Amino acid sequence: MYSDLLHALPDVFALTNFAAVIIGVIAGIVVGAMPGLSATMAISVLVPFTFGLEPLVALGLMAGIYNGAMYGGAIPAVLLRIPGTPAAVATTFDGYPMAQKGEGGFALQVAVVSSAFGGIASAFALMLLAPPLSKVTLLFGPSEVFWVAVFGLASIIFLLGGNPVKGLISACFGVFVSVIGSDPIYGNDRFTFGQLEMLDGINIVILLVGLYALPPVIDLLETPLKTGGVSSSKLGTESLWKALPRMKGFWKTWLRGSFLGIWIGILPGAGGSMAAFMSYNEARRTSKNPEEWGEGEPEGVAAAEVANNADTASALIPALTLGIPGTAVAAVMLGGLLVHGLQPGPMLFRDNPDIVFGFMWQFLFGAILLIILGGSLATNSFARLLNLPRPLLGSVIIVLMLIGVYSIHGRMFDVYLMLGFGAVGWVMDRLKFPLPPVVLGLILGGFAEENLRLALRIGRGDPMVLFQNTTSLILVALTVAVIIGPSLKKRFIDSRKAD
Amino acid sequence: MPESRKSRLTRPETLTALGILLVAAGFLIPTSELRPISALLPAAMLIGLIVLAVLLLLADQRKAAAGEEAKPVTQSPKRVVGAFLLIVSYALATDFIGFYVSTAVTIPLVAWLFGYRNPLGLLVATVIVVGTIWAIFDFGMSQDFPTGRFWGR
Repeated sequence: MYSDLLHALPDVFALTNFAAVIIGVIAGIVVGAMPGLSATMAISVLVPFTFGLEPLVALGLMAGIYNGAMYGGAIPAVLLRIPGTPAAVATTFDGYPMAQKGEGGFALQVAVVSSAFGGIASAFALMLLAPPLSKVTLLFGPSEVFWVAVFGLASIIFLLGGNPVKGLISACFGVFVSVIGSDPIYGNDRFTFGQLEMLDGINIVILLVGLYALPPVIDLLETPLKTGGVSSSKLGTESLWKALPRMKGFWKTWLRGSFLGIWIGILPGAGGSMAAFMSYNEARRTSKNPEEWGEGEPEGVAAAEVANNADTASALIPALTLGIPGTAVAAVMLGGLLVHGLQPGPMLFRDNPDIVFGFMWQFLFGAILLIILGGSLATNSFARLLNLPRPLLGSVIIVLMLIGVYSIHGRMFDVYLMLGFGAVGWVMDRLKFPLPPVVLGLILGGFAEENLRLALRIGRGDPMVLFQNTTSLILVALTVAVIIGPSLKKRFIDSRKAD
Repeated sequence: MPESRKSRLTRPETLTALGILLVAAGFLIPTSELRPISALLPAAMLIGLIVLAVLLLLADQRKAAAGEEAKPVTQSPKRVVGAFLLIVSYALATDFIGFYVSTAVTIPLVAWLFGYRNPLGLLVATVIVVGTIWAIFDFGMSQDFPTGRFWGR
């Protein structure tokens, strides 16, 4: 089962593939360090540029960015008390007080080592759990695949929290976008309105860039962040090797945070910020000196950072095996896989083992590279990034978005379409409509429709064919549990409070 | 607290729900011309959107009736509209007068209008960005960018 994993290793060390991971990690730290930018946005902007690249180069960039951005978010969290990414909120609790005491450099070193530890643990979890799960899913037929798609959508809508009506609207919108274009079986046009550019459907990259890159750019221009700037000479940074002995007491926190991060990453809809909060709370609860937490306790930084990196690769376990992403970034990464003709799901492991297992290695090496690339010297350099003017950054991202989307087919129609999705995405973002169900709806919509129609054909039009085997029934039961579970849990908690 | 808007119908969620309702109903019309099996999923999604939009509308109006104030979608609408119009103008300019000219104007213009007013910094940033794009995409990857419909190319 794991022999493919070893076979994939030599390809990962090919110069271009390994260089892609290095570049990705650096780019990820840069993006994560800029408040307002996120890994999701960076990967969305990157995806169209990877069209002409080898899959492992493209995936290496994505794995590097994801790992790097999760650590990069700690830089402004520690130095300015502004989390660079949502997952770095818990890092501010003790990171910023440490910086106020002149220990900002040590706080960032704790963050980088903890991030690397979490990332490595997460990559191992992906390597160990994904292959056996993919073997199971290979046995699925059309009706099971249809229910997996429904289960995936239901999970991300109902487990994401927030308003389920808004989640459902987002998912319906995504699935509707997936049916635009030629009918895959009969070939008749659906909602193309005579536009030849839409016959092949809506390219996922156009949607990703519109939804995930345009709203942050508008945010960058809407509220210019004013900080006093950061002087890297005031960080009090010492050599990473000298700082390591001070971290030897954190191993329990690292192990606990890694476990929590991996578990939360696997759960659809949960994410890095939840993992970081849970890990921070647990570490504080079990600490001998909880009263010092919040006033500059380095273990607090370790707890938050290890967990928010531990959910990175693990979020890809359901994404790669079932096509159900655990986080928004994983949803965008699924889009990146599709761009290279790699349909997430069980067939991915059978048809492209070198690529999928190579991708797992890249996650592992991305996490290890964090220590080298995010070490003391680099930390000082990355801290200077906080002084970059946001309006200038915004204008450069606008140009990159246009180039990326235009390059897909070499036509401006796609750019206009992206701007339309961007406007929709901005409104959705402001009104708290979740965006991951839109992406998942687009990814799973066509997939679900194709398998539903295939199953109905096999059953000669009888819809009961969808309920005729145990796996389908288990998936239906899981879907129902996911839908009613959160409201039952809420009622249970309310009734206990009332008692 | 009493609702400060002139009309309860101008609440952001209400407007969004009405928008979804209208657009989904509009898209539902062409589904009647499709084969039933082709129309199955799109029609289900559009009907779903209509039902959900009605639920969203009712929930928001109930909040309005209870005196819950709707939060504005932005604190600085002029900046948001300005940013969006500039991005759309950049796309149109790229289409009609060409990529390089539009980009060389847009980078400093957007940064200047939104608060970065260092002429040397703007010049350096524009030269670096446009130069890098040319070197990587045009020179290195032979990527063609729009040269401008206005010039008949």
